[in-house]
Amino acid sequence: MDFFSNLQLAFSVIFQPDNLLFCFIGCVIGTLVGVLPGLGPVATISLLLPSTFHISPVSAIIMLGGIYYGAMYGGSITSILVNIPGEAASVVTCLDGYQMARQGRAGPALGISAFGSFIAGTLATVLIMMIAPPLARFALEFGPPEYFALMFLGLTVLTYLASGSMVKALMMACVGIFLGTVGTDTISGIERFTYRSYTLMDGIGLIPVIMGLFGISEVLLNIEEASKQEIYQASLSNLLPTLRDWKDSIFSIMRGTFVGFFLGILPGGGAVIASFASYAVEKKFSKHPERFGSGAIEGVAAPEAANNAASQGAFIPLLTLGIPANVVMAILLGALLIHNIKVGPLLIKDHPTLFWGVLGSMYVGNVMLLVLNVPLIGIWVKILKIPYPILFPLILLFCLIGVYSVNNNIYEVVIMILFGVVGYLMKKFAYEGAPLILAFVLSPLLENALRQSLIMSNGDFSIFFSRPISLLLILASLFLLFLPLLPGLRKRPQGGNLD
Amino acid sequence: MKPERTSSLVWLGFAVLICIESLRLPRGSLREPGPGFLPLLVGVILAGLSTISLVQAQAGSSADGKSPWAASKRWKKLLWVLFSLLAYALALETLGFLLATFLLLLFLFRFGMEPQRWSWAIAGSAIASLFCYAVFELWLRTQLPGGILGF
Repeated sequence: MDFFSNLQLAFSVIFQPDNLLFCFIGCVIGTLVGVLPGLGPVATISLLLPSTFHISPVSAIIMLGGIYYGAMYGGSITSILVNIPGEAASVVTCLDGYQMARQGRAGPALGISAFGSFIAGTLATVLIMMIAPPLARFALEFGPPEYFALMFLGLTVLTYLASGSMVKALMMACVGIFLGTVGTDTISGIERFTYRSYTLMDGIGLIPVIMGLFGISEVLLNIEEASKQEIYQASLSNLLPTLRDWKDSIFSIMRGTFVGFFLGILPGGGAVIASFASYAVEKKFSKHPERFGSGAIEGVAAPEAANNAASQGAFIPLLTLGIPANVVMAILLGALLIHNIKVGPLLIKDHPTLFWGVLGSMYVGNVMLLVLNVPLIGIWVKILKIPYPILFPLILLFCLIGVYSVNNNIYEVVIMILFGVVGYLMKKFAYEGAPLILAFVLSPLLENALRQSLIMSNGDFSIFFSRPISLLLILASLFLLFLPLLPGLRKRPQGGNLD
Repeated sequence: MKPERTSSLVWLGFAVLICIESLRLPRGSLREPGPGFLPLLVGVILAGLSTISLVQAQAGSSADGKSPWAASKRWKKLLWVLFSLLAYALALETLGFLLATFLLLLFLFRFGMEPQRWSWAIAGSAIASLFCYAVFELWLRTQLPGGILGF
């Protein structure tokens, strides 16, 4: 099949009425949670995961994917108008976006971020179409050692880019791997760390852990801090950026797209890192770097393009290798596994409607989001005005229902509350949740790959170093692990909060 | 005690616990690693990392010596919220979804962050519980517990 017949398949899938509906629902919900501070895409996707059990896997992934990139659009609205990032990937947008709003240029700021996101999203989809199929063919050569090495690299990248101490991030990765081993061992059938608990026999559920660490803990922190938000009362009449604005930002959008896309593909990368990196790139490229931070439109356009491109690029490792590049992709992996879809290099061949349908939904989803975000911006601004004391009980309720409805099991709700407290303490003591979750999801895959590799090699660890691809991946991981120890290179790039 | 030190010690303790418990599982051999192999490996690495973190904290390089609790004046509210969530989980199957949810929302609106007016809190809780019931039970067909009200 060539590019155009694939494209045709993609559009035939997405233009089925129910897929179109779920894509739209995903985009609306995504924008909504992007706008609402304290409820990010991670918590929302895990919240809605149980409700997708009843629909087809294609529709499910289309909707959940829509939430993810939709949140990238919505997050910028809060950043620009309130100076509070709606979600982590929009932190950088606050820097120049809010300044633009204060200078009465909220309209162009919102406009360029929506158009920038649209251009980036569309280009990223084309790039995925070109890159994913050959990558999947290449990945067919991968055996257990290569998979182990790739996952190891993913975890290392994530801990390397963590905002705080790398030691702490590595500790969280260890805790995540351990939590992933709880339950019945798939190879030997022996129960591990279950203490005869019926709930733990199937392992600790992904949804209670994520909702606890990212949903409940965030609410607890917000209750404690109780920040008063002030919405910038700007006229939103002229949303369309001027010709001058376009001239200033079009190349930034292009650069942001490429930076974001490739950081999104990298396991452990993702939208947050992409937005920070592209801001840094723009500052380097600019003839007037001093304008950044005081309302430069490039400082809004590039990171917004980057976080969108990254959130779509992140689908590549999931759909071609079966390895999630970040927490959201980890949840989507969970969703695919629940629908009994074998994720890996054969996915494109075995489930062409899923793969091309999801890609098609990205084209269409980006158009929907542009419509949702430019003409309808007023509605989102109104939602921003709901005070937190009224919002937080509802967020908590959604978490409770979401977790309960997975298995109708009260103990999973208790597990979620427990992880809520753990997550709250982790944030207080500056431990990051992202490495823990990624390690937790990868743990069973990682363990199987490790054990199978050792069985293959008769217990000889050199198998990871004797095969070229795995050698390369392991060397890259070791390089990152020991880089901070080298004198003169102590300072790691600060990636901001990775949640 | 410095917060960094406390947290490192907690993780060190946790790591030791993982190791002890993993030793009770069959470890297998390197040729055929058993179910206890990876947990033990991870436990040992975690112990090592927490020791490094402890040493770093002892060295006192951290300039931010202030307690993370310094800003926390609302810890009582936090405890109330946590208790209400736990109570909800435990009472959900007895009281049923509608009643339990109504009571939880009423409590959180009224005693959560800022007390809302009674009239508002009651109306808001009722509407939100009914709305969730409609969406999750009637539309998405989630099996929510009926409890004493029986639906």
